[in-house]
Amino acid sequence: MTDIAAGSAERSRWDTFLHALRFLFAVLRARPLFALGYVIVLLVFVLAIFAPLIAPYEPEVANPVDFLQGPSWRHLFGTDATGMDIFSRIVYAPRIDLTIALAGTMISAVVGSFVGAVVGYYQEGGGFGSFGAGFVMRAADVLQAFPVFVFAIALVAIFGQSLESIIAAIAFVNTPIYLRLMRSQVLAIRNMRYVEASYVSGASDLMIMLRHIIPNSLAPILAQLSVNIGWSILLTAALSFVGAGVVAPTPEWGSMIAMGFQNIITGQWWPSVFPGIALAVTVFGFALVGASVEVLADPARRRALAGTLRERKKAP
Amino acid sequence: MRILRYIGRRFLFIGPQLFGIILVSFLLVKLIPGDPAVMMLGPFATEQQIAMLNTEMGLDGTIIDQFGIYLQNLVQGDLGTSWQTTKPVFDDLAIRFPATLELITLSLLLALLIGIPLGVAAAYFKRSIVKKFSDYYGLLAGSLPDFWLGLILIYLFYTVMQVAPPPLGRIDFAVLPPAPVTNFLIIDSLIAGNWQALWSTLGHLVLPVVTLAVINAGPILKMTQATMERMLESDLIRYAEMCGLPKQVVIRKAFRNSLPSIVTIVSVLYGFLIGGAVLVEIVFSWGGAGQYAVQGVLNADINPVLGFVLFSAILSLVIYLVVDLIYFAIDPRIRG
Repeated sequence: MTDIAAGSAERSRWDTFLHALRFLFAVLRARPLFALGYVIVLLVFVLAIFAPLIAPYEPEVANPVDFLQGPSWRHLFGTDATGMDIFSRIVYAPRIDLTIALAGTMISAVVGSFVGAVVGYYQEGGGFGSFGAGFVMRAADVLQAFPVFVFAIALVAIFGQSLESIIAAIAFVNTPIYLRLMRSQVLAIRNMRYVEASYVSGASDLMIMLRHIIPNSLAPILAQLSVNIGWSILLTAALSFVGAGVVAPTPEWGSMIAMGFQNIITGQWWPSVFPGIALAVTVFGFALVGASVEVLADPARRRALAGTLRERKKAP
Repeated sequence: MRILRYIGRRFLFIGPQLFGIILVSFLLVKLIPGDPAVMMLGPFATEQQIAMLNTEMGLDGTIIDQFGIYLQNLVQGDLGTSWQTTKPVFDDLAIRFPATLELITLSLLLALLIGIPLGVAAAYFKRSIVKKFSDYYGLLAGSLPDFWLGLILIYLFYTVMQVAPPPLGRIDFAVLPPAPVTNFLIIDSLIAGNWQALWSTLGHLVLPVVTLAVINAGPILKMTQATMERMLESDLIRYAEMCGLPKQVVIRKAFRNSLPSIVTIVSVLYGFLIGGAVLVEIVFSWGGAGQYAVQGVLNADINPVLGFVLFSAILSLVIYLVVDLIYFAIDPRIRG
C-alpha cells in the first residue's frame, strides 16, 4: 500500500519534471534569443573548463619572432605585440573572468540579500530594530553616492592587486543592489497572511525569515544575478584595462584590449578587436539568460507566455 | 510655496550626507598603501627629509587630526595639492570637470535623440521591425564595453578612413585654444569668436560622444519603451482613443505622461557618467575628471581623489535637485 503511494508520488514528480522540461523547450523554440543566451553561457563555461584542449598554443608563452601577425590559419586571430597567440589567450580568459565575476556576484548576492532581508523585516517594528535598519540604508546611500568605478579601483588599491581583492571590490560595489532589491521584496511579503500565521504559531524571527520570507522573494534576485554576472565581467575587464585588475600576461579580455591599444592606432586591429568581441558576446549571453529568468521566475509572466505558446500551436 | 518647502527639506539632508561622503572617502583613501612623501622625494630621500615633508603636509598626526586639518582647509575652499601635477586640486578640477561635463552632456543629448524616438516607435508599433530592432539594441548596448567601442571607432575613422582627428585630447595641438573663461571649450571659443578652435573642439568631440551615446541610448530606449507601453494601455489613453482623437495627439499625450521616468533615467545616467566616462576619457586622452581621479588612486595621490569625490557628490546632489524641479514643471500631480 505504502509502496504504491510512494511510487505514484515519484511518478508524478517525474511527470512534473518532464512537463517543466517540455515547457522549457517550447519556450526556447518560441524565443530563440533565450536559447542563444543559454548556448553562449554554456560555451563560455566549456571554454573555461577545456581551455588546454582547445587552445593551440600556450596562452602565456611569447614567441617574439611572430609578433603582430595578422589572422591566418596558423594563428586564427593573429598574434599580439609580444608574439602571443590571441586565440589561445581568448580561450583561456574566461577562467579568470568567470571566477572573478561568479565569486564577486555570489558573495554580494548572499550578503546583500541577507542584510536586505533583515533590514526589511525589522524596518517597521519600531525601536532599536528600525533605527538600525535606517542606519544601514543611509550607509548604503553614502556608498552608492560614490562613482562605482573610482570606488572599485580604490578598493583594489587598498587590498593590493590580487585575485581576492578584485573579487572583494566587485562584491562590495554590487552588494547595495541586492540589499535594496531584497528589502523592497521583504517589505511587501512581511505583511502577508502566512507570515502572520507562522508568527502567531510561535515561530522565531529567524525561522520565519528562512522558511517564508527569503524563499518567496528570490525570483527578482535570481533574474538580477545573471545580468549582474555579465556586468561584473565588464567591470573586471574595465579594471584590468586601466591596470588596476588582472595583470598581463595572465590572459584576460580587458587587459588584452589594453595591450592592443597602441597597435590599433598604427593599424593592427586584431589584438584589441577579438577579445572585445568575446567580452561583448559573453556579457550579451548572460543578459539574455537574465531576461529569460525574469520571465520564467515570475508566475504571471510565465502564464502569459504559456498562453501565447498554446495559441501559436493552435494557429497553424 | 510647496516647492520651496520641498527644496528646503532636501537641503536639510545635504549637510549630513556630504559629511558622510567626505568622511568615508577620507578613510578609504587613507587606507590605500603608499607614502606620498616617499613618492614625491624619490628614491634617494633621507628619512629626515621624508619626516619633514610629512610634518609640512600635516601627515604626521593621528588620522582624526588629519581629517580635522582636511575639513578646516575644505571650509576655506582649499582642497589640497596634487603632488603629481604640483597644482592645487581645485584649479586642476576647474579645468577637468568642464571637460568631462562637456563630453557627457553632449553624449546624453545624442543618446536621447537615439533612444526616445526608437522607444516611442517600438512601444507603438508592437509587431514591427522597429520593435525587434529596439529589443536587440537594448540588450546589445548594455553588453558592449565602452572603451572597446571607442577603440573600434578610432580604428575605423582615424586609422583607416582618416576623417577623425587623432584621439589625443580636446583640441588640436596646432590650434590656439581660446582664453579660458568657463573651461568649456565650446563656450569659450564662442565667447572668443575663435571659429578655428570651435571647429577643432567639435571635431575632437565627435568620436567620444558617439561612443558614449551609442551605449547610453540603451537604457533610455528601454525606459522609454517600457513606460510608453504601460501608458498606451492605461485608462487615460484608452479614453483618449475612444474619444476619437487622432493618433498623433494620443501618442503625444502618452509621451507627455511618460516624461517623468525618462527624466529619472537621464539623471541617473548623468550621475553615473561623471565617474563612469573615465574609460572613454582614457582612450581619447581627454584629461577629464574621472581620469584625474583614477591617476590619483593609482599613484597614492589622495587629494585629487577626495576632491573628485566631493565635486561629483555635490554635482549629483545638484542634478537631483534640478530633476525635482523638472518633475514640478512636467507632472501636474506633484504641483497639486
